[in-house]
Amino acid sequence: MAADFKRLVEDSREMTRRSFLAIVGWVGFTVASAIALFQSVKFIQPNATYEDPPAFKPVGELAFPTSYAVGSTTVLIDKRVVINRDQDGFYAISLICTHLGCTPRYFPDVTSDLVLAGTQISRDPDTGQLATKANPTLPGFKCPCHGSRYFRDADNFFGPAPRPMDRVHMELAKDGRLFIDRSIVVDHKFRLKV
Amino acid sequence: MRVIRAAVDEMWSMVGQMTSAVFRHGLPLTDKIAARTALTNFVLHIHPVRVRRSWIRMSYTLCLGGLSFFLFIVLTVTGLYLMFYYVPSINHAYQDMRDLQFVVTFGGLIRNMHRWAAHAMVITVWLHMARVFLTGAYKKPREFNWGIGTVLLLVTLLLSFTGYLLPWDQLSIWAVTVGTNMAKYAPIAGPYTRYLMLGGHAVGDATLLRFYVMHVVGLPLVGFLLMVVHFWRVRKDGFSGGL
Repeated sequence: MAADFKRLVEDSREMTRRSFLAIVGWVGFTVASAIALFQSVKFIQPNATYEDPPAFKPVGELAFPTSYAVGSTTVLIDKRVVINRDQDGFYAISLICTHLGCTPRYFPDVTSDLVLAGTQISRDPDTGQLATKANPTLPGFKCPCHGSRYFRDADNFFGPAPRPMDRVHMELAKDGRLFIDRSIVVDHKFRLKV
Repeated sequence: MRVIRAAVDEMWSMVGQMTSAVFRHGLPLTDKIAARTALTNFVLHIHPVRVRRSWIRMSYTLCLGGLSFFLFIVLTVTGLYLMFYYVPSINHAYQDMRDLQFVVTFGGLIRNMHRWAAHAMVITVWLHMARVFLTGAYKKPREFNWGIGTVLLLVTLLLSFTGYLLPWDQLSIWAVTVGTNMAKYAPIAGPYTRYLMLGGHAVGDATLLRFYVMHVVGLPLVGFLLMVVHFWRVRKDGFSGGL
């Protein structure tokens, strides 16, 4: 192989018309291929997506803050958002499991089977709730993919989820309706006071 | 140091083994090596080992078969690109086509290439058939390849017809309505044929899906397999011009 190549180089030390045309051809082919690759990447990259925008206002009955009782948990499953209201105000949870991104589902009881099986469940730092043998039932979220569990306020307490679910920005729009922006992650202490 | 040297030598011999596994021959320095390489290499075997000067006289074939095949490749590649954005559903098809034209970068270029290459392929295939007919190239021993060629012409026309519906504009819908109604006039099997083509009684969602499947998979696959045989027979029977 190496000897053949050496011979070829020696043979073609003086450029013939044929080898010149071959070089021109290959250079042209390479340039055209590079352009085609560039175009392909630009083509594949969408200029417009038709995804649901991250910011939205809840519609219907859920549009106004008065529809939410203090202590309530409301799941907007299509938007993958949960709206909680406590004494301090409103906050929204992005309903995306922090393990691998599935959608956890709300259940009125996510603790009793663990408590009755003898598993120690830590106290929810936000709500201060603790499931005991005497009172084993707490509401929360269970992820269907790998079994992560969260308290009602998105703190993880069981399964592979590494951290609480994100909380996202919420405000009152000028028309008096709730406004949620899922693209803005906010602090755990964030509350919308109404 | 010695260990490193041994490792490098080992690596080089592995590279050499891999190279010689892929490239079975050295550089084609002589005609003999070149011919042997062309015979045993899958990519190169598409070229004839030996070509007579009279075979490549352009004024005889006008390259019409080759042009048709080239356009088929252009259509396959551009069609693949279009499939990234096109959804064959009556709720999406028209909007996706408009997006390709006006939103996607180079989308208009790809779509126009597909459209013009499609028109051009119908023309070149027809002309190819006319040339073969006028030079008498369909005669013995090439009757079988003429037969395959007529089926390839039909496949080309059906590809054109099925592709016509996909933009899902008024022209598409009514052209296919008219086309399938013409099929209905065939004796006995006509109405049933139309029912099968439409997947119902009028052009609708089922029709669009059917035409799409035939356009992107069914007909290209049939066309490709027939082309393989077509080219094989051309090689085996020889070019008619040189005989």
